[in-house]
Amino acid sequence: MPRLRSLRSQETLQARFVCVLVLTIVVLAVTFFLPPVADSQLAGGAAITIVILGLSWLIGWSGQISLGNSGFMAVGAYAAGIWAHHHASTPLIFTFVLAMVMGALSGLVIAIPSTRLRGPYLAGMTLAFSAAITPLAQNFTSVTGGEGGLFFNQLTTPTWFAHLFSGQNATINANAQWTADLAVVVAGLMFLVMANLFHSRTGRAMRLVRDNDVAAELMGINLPLTRSLAFVIAAAFAGLGGALFTIINATVTPSTFPLTLSITLLTLMVLGGIGTLSGAVIGGIIYSFSADLVSHINSLTGVNPASNLGANMQGIIFGSLLILTMLFAPRGIAGVWGPLRRLTKSRRRLATTENVK
Amino acid sequence: MFTRRFRRTVTLLSASALSFGIATSGVLISNADASPSTPGVSAKTITIGAAVPLSGIAVSYANVSASANAVFKYIDKKGGINGRTIKYLRLDDCYGLAAYGLGCTAGASTTTLSVNQVLVAQDHVFATVGSLGTAAEESVLSYLKANKVPQLFVASGSIGWDQPAKYPNLFGYQPSYVMEGKIFARYIKTNDAALSVGYIGQNDDFGADGYIGLTDGGVKIATADNLSYNAADAITGSTSDITADVSQLQTDKVQVVVLDSVPGFTNGILETAHALGYAPKWIISSVGADPTSVSTTIPLEDGATTLDYFPASNSNANPWIPWLRKVLEADPADFPGFSASSVISGNELYGAGYAVAFAETLKAEGRTVTRAGFVKTLESTTLSTPAITPLRYTGGNHQGLLGGAIAVILANGTSAPQYAVPTKTIFTTTNAANSPLSVVAKPVVQQIPKWLK
Repeated sequence: MPRLRSLRSQETLQARFVCVLVLTIVVLAVTFFLPPVADSQLAGGAAITIVILGLSWLIGWSGQISLGNSGFMAVGAYAAGIWAHHHASTPLIFTFVLAMVMGALSGLVIAIPSTRLRGPYLAGMTLAFSAAITPLAQNFTSVTGGEGGLFFNQLTTPTWFAHLFSGQNATINANAQWTADLAVVVAGLMFLVMANLFHSRTGRAMRLVRDNDVAAELMGINLPLTRSLAFVIAAAFAGLGGALFTIINATVTPSTFPLTLSITLLTLMVLGGIGTLSGAVIGGIIYSFSADLVSHINSLTGVNPASNLGANMQGIIFGSLLILTMLFAPRGIAGVWGPLRRLTKSRRRLATTENVK
Repeated sequence: MFTRRFRRTVTLLSASALSFGIATSGVLISNADASPSTPGVSAKTITIGAAVPLSGIAVSYANVSASANAVFKYIDKKGGINGRTIKYLRLDDCYGLAAYGLGCTAGASTTTLSVNQVLVAQDHVFATVGSLGTAAEESVLSYLKANKVPQLFVASGSIGWDQPAKYPNLFGYQPSYVMEGKIFARYIKTNDAALSVGYIGQNDDFGADGYIGLTDGGVKIATADNLSYNAADAITGSTSDITADVSQLQTDKVQVVVLDSVPGFTNGILETAHALGYAPKWIISSVGADPTSVSTTIPLEDGATTLDYFPASNSNANPWIPWLRKVLEADPADFPGFSASSVISGNELYGAGYAVAFAETLKAEGRTVTRAGFVKTLESTTLSTPAITPLRYTGGNHQGLLGGAIAVILANGTSAPQYAVPTKTIFTTTNAANSPLSVVAKPVVQQIPKWLK
């Protein structure tokens, strides 16, 4: 497949567009095969993919550690939720833009001091942000609905889409799949945006800032601006992911965005591959089906799920996966392909040189 | 250049064509299953489900649905209802807090919604029965409504379950916290009219509703003594609110303290007061007062007052107690090691209560079961359940039990140090601010239907 490879290595806007389009269509086609429950899980995974894309950009490309992304998600989710609470119906596109703008604003608030902080200090500050968001949502009850949150009607499935389904569970299947398809399309779109961002002038500047900020400054890159921009973009992505959560769940509650979600996001990103596009997708897929995986392993090993061991199975599996990844594939699952390909390539090259001899 | 672009286009087109082909075949697949009947109802079984905490922070409520399951198994062994056995799927939603960890068996991405999606879209349940938790169940209102799945006997005292106009298939079970507050108010005005009253509530609908009930009932609480604790502290393990609240009430020399708290916090508040040497009269909400859940070591609750809608579980005077003992003994899978001398708690009575209510409605519904029919039957049938107050729904009232009796918590025996013993006066009321409090002279001892014995 020489053509496909050239398409990939070319990395033009057009080529990326085609790749993402095909990928999205394939996933959309897959949703027709998945049972409705898996579709719903996939929808959540698509939302998480968007958040990880932003996180990967922030940590992998700008080199700034953030534990605040669950907080940015909450901002986007509540922005969408509070707006929907006061308006009978809202166009989806407006909800998405609103969530991104609000997320970006909250990112800016964090970004301003972030230009002066590094490493663990920055992590600490972002941690404080995501820890503060939940109590805020719990306490301003008149706006946020408090502990119980706000709830809305389920997303309406368009008639033309619902017509594709029939039988006893037609509505259930159609609803689940419509939500999943919508999330996948949005994730595909954001994937494209991020792919272009990675390879843009800003992306290159970002990498230079990460690797050597003195050199970057000498090149005329505005350091505070570039660092802040990284936060703002990551927060906008997280805000959008949060808004998708609100739409998928038809509710927004503080308990959806605990501090631990930030850690989960970080783990998923490392497992998938820091600073890679495909790593974000892999992370999203792992998130979607992790609950199934855990219960499957529990049933395989015969561990009583109610026992102490069973209750901590999630932590055990992902903890060891994380350790294994750090040991053997520090660039994550997405990073495994690179060395593998190089290995096969060098073998092939070796073979050809031998032939010449 | 031409060939490259051409090949690229061909690749794209064939990929789309392939995807479209797959997509269309998917449509055909979903076309295949078509048999219009009520979901969850087959010739020989009726499948129902519940999203309940089976692990994590609210695991102490796990016995509620386990007890309901024991009742259904008992009925199944007797041949089921109208020729159908009841299959009860209890899935762990970890109180909707799996994302926090907290010893949850369910994966971090598990939510009350995802659990309900499994019940509805995969297991095709007829209804959810006895799903637990205010915030958790609020989060699936719209999903269950959109898919026309009845949400029956929600285990929570929020007034939110009583919205028949907006959610016609939604039914609560226990008296609301507003009703409870009104009954407490009546008790305070009768017995402790001269004493000063303070309040500690959970900072969500639980506390908000309970406080409304107290003030609707005419109890005056000074602003400084209307206190709350943060429910989320259960997650962080922080109890700073509680200490501050109790000290405040002690400083103000408050003589009667009403608690709207879950068992863990009731225990924390009582222990704090004990440590500070503060001993007011305690009045504790029914959901936070069950002595077997609050404290099994120190009898902190001696003499405290609560509301009870079930008979005293340590006495065989009410026929439902020995019956439930028999039912639980027959289900070693859910109640391993349960014997004649084991302790029945309020949780088990609660679960058995809604299970019996479901079974009786199903019985009254007859062989042909539809969702709409079931809801109508539930709205028009007088149910005979283990509760000491009537359970009666109407087209305009979906709250649940109509009231309860003031109960006193007394020291009793060694296996469980305390028991709630209801007094002989039953109060009934509704959520409306101006609705009166009626006094039923005697507790209703509802008979066990013959087919259930």
